[in-house]
Amino acid sequence: MSTTLHWITLAAYLLGSLISLGFLVRQRQGLYRMGLALLWVGFGLHTLALAAAWVEGGVLPATSLRQSLDVFSWALMGAVLVVNLRLEVKILGALAGPICVLLLLAASVLPVVPSVKTAAFKSAWIIVHVISIMAGYGLLALTCLGGVLYLTQDKALRAKTMGPVFRRLPSLGRLDSLNQASLLAGFLLMTIGLISGAVYAQMALGSYWRWDPKEVWALITWLLYAAMLHTRLVQGWRGRRGAWLSVAAFAALVITFLGAGLLMPGYHSFSSMADLGGPRP
Amino acid sequence: MKLQLIGLSHKTAPLEVRECLAPPPETVPGELHRIVELPGVREAVMVSTCNRVEVLAATEDNGGEAELTQWLCSGRGQAPELIAEHLYRYQGADAVRHLFRVASSLDSLVVGEPQILGQIKDAYRTATDAGTTRTVLNRLLHKTFQVAKRVRSETNIGGAAVSISFAAVELAKKIFDSLEGLSALVVGAGEMAELAVEHLMAQGVSKVQVANRTLERAVELARGWGGHAISLDELGAVLGEVDIVIASTGSPQAVITAKMARAAVKARRGRPLFFIDIAVPRDVESAVGELDGCYLYDIDDLTSVVEANRAGRAVEAGQAERIVAEEVVKFMSWLAGLDAVPTISALAAKAEEIRTAEMARTLKDLSELTPEQVAALDRLTQALVKKLVHDPIMFIKGASHNKSPDTLRQQLALVRRIFNLEENGGE
Repeated sequence: MSTTLHWITLAAYLLGSLISLGFLVRQRQGLYRMGLALLWVGFGLHTLALAAAWVEGGVLPATSLRQSLDVFSWALMGAVLVVNLRLEVKILGALAGPICVLLLLAASVLPVVPSVKTAAFKSAWIIVHVISIMAGYGLLALTCLGGVLYLTQDKALRAKTMGPVFRRLPSLGRLDSLNQASLLAGFLLMTIGLISGAVYAQMALGSYWRWDPKEVWALITWLLYAAMLHTRLVQGWRGRRGAWLSVAAFAALVITFLGAGLLMPGYHSFSSMADLGGPRP
Repeated sequence: MKLQLIGLSHKTAPLEVRECLAPPPETVPGELHRIVELPGVREAVMVSTCNRVEVLAATEDNGGEAELTQWLCSGRGQAPELIAEHLYRYQGADAVRHLFRVASSLDSLVVGEPQILGQIKDAYRTATDAGTTRTVLNRLLHKTFQVAKRVRSETNIGGAAVSISFAAVELAKKIFDSLEGLSALVVGAGEMAELAVEHLMAQGVSKVQVANRTLERAVELARGWGGHAISLDELGAVLGEVDIVIASTGSPQAVITAKMARAAVKARRGRPLFFIDIAVPRDVESAVGELDGCYLYDIDDLTSVVEANRAGRAVEAGQAERIVAEEVVKFMSWLAGLDAVPTISALAAKAEEIRTAEMARTLKDLSELTPEQVAALDRLTQALVKKLVHDPIMFIKGASHNKSPDTLRQQLALVRRIFNLEENGGE
C-alpha cells in the first residue's frame, strides 16, 4: 500500500514540478495554479503514504536513510506549500518540486531496511523528536532556498537590466519575510525536537547528552541558527548577510542530517539504529 | 514676414551660462515688451526653462537678427561674446522645426519628458497677456501644441520618460514588495523627480519629505504632497528614516555620500534603501550602490532599463521626426500664404470695384428694368467676375503652397503687374 502511494506521490510531484517549470518559462498563471494544485495533491498522497508506512511498519517510518529522505521531502514540500499560503512565492514550486522528486527518487533506489520494531521507537517522545526535527529541517531548507533566491534577486537588481530573472523572482521584501518566517518556525521546531530528544535519551539511555556525533553536529547547527536569528533580530543582519548565513547554516544541517547519519559512527547513525535496544531499566 | 528663433539649451551651453540668461518669471513680460520694441521685430515669445532659454520672434523680412542677438547677450552678467558663442539661431522653416521638436520633447534632456509642453504653453500665455503675439505667432504656437499632441498620441515617445517613473516603481516593487506605507525623500526639485514621486504615491507611498537648496521651494513642493520640508544639512539624519530617495539637485558634486548611506543602513537595521538618482551630474556617490542593503539607479541605468525593454525606440523617434517635418511644411505653406493674402484680396477688390462701377453706369441707361431683371443682371455680372478672377486666385494660392518664398514673391509681383494692383505693403 505504502509503496503504491509512494510511486503515485512521485508521479504527482513530477507532473507538478514539470508544470511549475513550464510556468517558470512561460509565466502563464494557469500553469502556476495547475502545478500548485498537483503539488498539493502529491503532498496529500505523500502524507497518506507515510501514514500507511507507519501503520505497516508499526514504527515511525524514519529509521533508515531511505525513510528519512522520504520524510524530509515530505517536510520540505509541506513547508513550501504551507508558507506559500501566506507568503506567495510563485517560483518555489519549480524549485522545491524537483528537489522533492529527486529526494523521493533517491529514497526509492536506496535499499529497503526492515523497520526496527523495538519499543524504543514507539515512545511519544521519540515521535515528537523525529517529527519536529524533520519539520524543522523542511522549514530550514526553505530558509536556505529563500536565501539563494534573495542573493539571486539582489544580484539581478544590481545588474540593472530588469531581465528575465528579475521579472520571475519575487521581491526582496517578500523573500526576506519568507526567510524570517521559515527561520523562526524551523528554529522553534528544531529546538522542540532537540529537547524532546534529550528528554527521551534521559528516559531511554540514562543521560540527556552522550556526545554522539549527530548530537554534536545538531548542537553546532542549532547554535548557528540561534546566532542567525540573533543577528537578524538584534543586529538587523537581513539582506545579503542573512541570506549567506541561511545557506551556511543549512550546510551544517546537511552534515548533521546525512553526514552524521551515514559517515560517523554513533547510535544516531542509521546502521546502528537496529542495534538500539528498548528503554533501559 | 520672417520667423526667427534664437537661444541656447543644455545641448549648447553649460549650466552657468544658462543660469545667467534665465530671467526671473516676473520680469518676462517686461523683457517681451523690450523685444517687440526692437527695430524690425513684430511679435515675440520667450521660453525659459531650467534647460533652455529661447526667444521666438516674427520679424520683418530683413532685419531683427542682430538686434535680437545683442539684446539676448548684453547685460546678463556674463561677457556677451561668451553667451553668443553658445547660441543657436534658426530662421523660417528651421525655427518652426526647432520649436516643434522642443515642444514634442525631442530636444529634451530626457527625450519624451512631458513637462516641456506645459512650459511652452505657459510661455505663450505670458506673451499673449503681455500682448506681444499676433497672427503669426498665435497660429504658430497653436500649431505647435497640436503637433506636440499629435507626436504624443501617434508615437510612443512619451513612453520613455513615463517609463522612467514606471521603471522606478517596478524596481521599488521588486525591492519592497508593496509600496504601501513607505516613505520617500526628494532631494532637489526637478520635473522628473516630481513625476516619479507622483507615480510612487499612486502606488501607496504615504510619506514624502523634501530637501532643497532653497527651503521655500522645498516647503512649496512638500505642501503639494502633504509632506514636510527639511534642509540639506539634515539629509544624513533623515536617510535612516526613509525607504526611497529621489535625488535631482543641480549640485556639481555628490549630495549623498557613501558614508551617509552606510550610517543610514546601520540605522535602518538592514531594511533596504532605494536610491533613484536622476540628477546630471549624479547626486549619489556610485559607491553607495555597492553597499549591502542599498540599491542605486541613476538616470542612465533607468533609461537603459527602459531602452532594454523597448526595441522600437529609434522607430518612435524617427516617426516623431517625420510628423514634425510634415507639420513644418504645412505651417510654412500657411505662412507663405499669408504673403499671398493681400494680393488675392486686392485682386478680388479690384474686380468687384469694376463690376459695381459698370453696373451702376449700365443701370442708369436701362431705367425700364423690373427689380427681378436688375437682380438677374447683378447675378450675371457677379458670376462673370468671379469666374474671371477664379483662375488667377487659384494660381496665387497654388503658388503659395508649392513654391519657395522667392519664387512666390516674384510670381506675386507678376500678378500685381498684370492686374495693375497698387502696392499696399506686405500685410
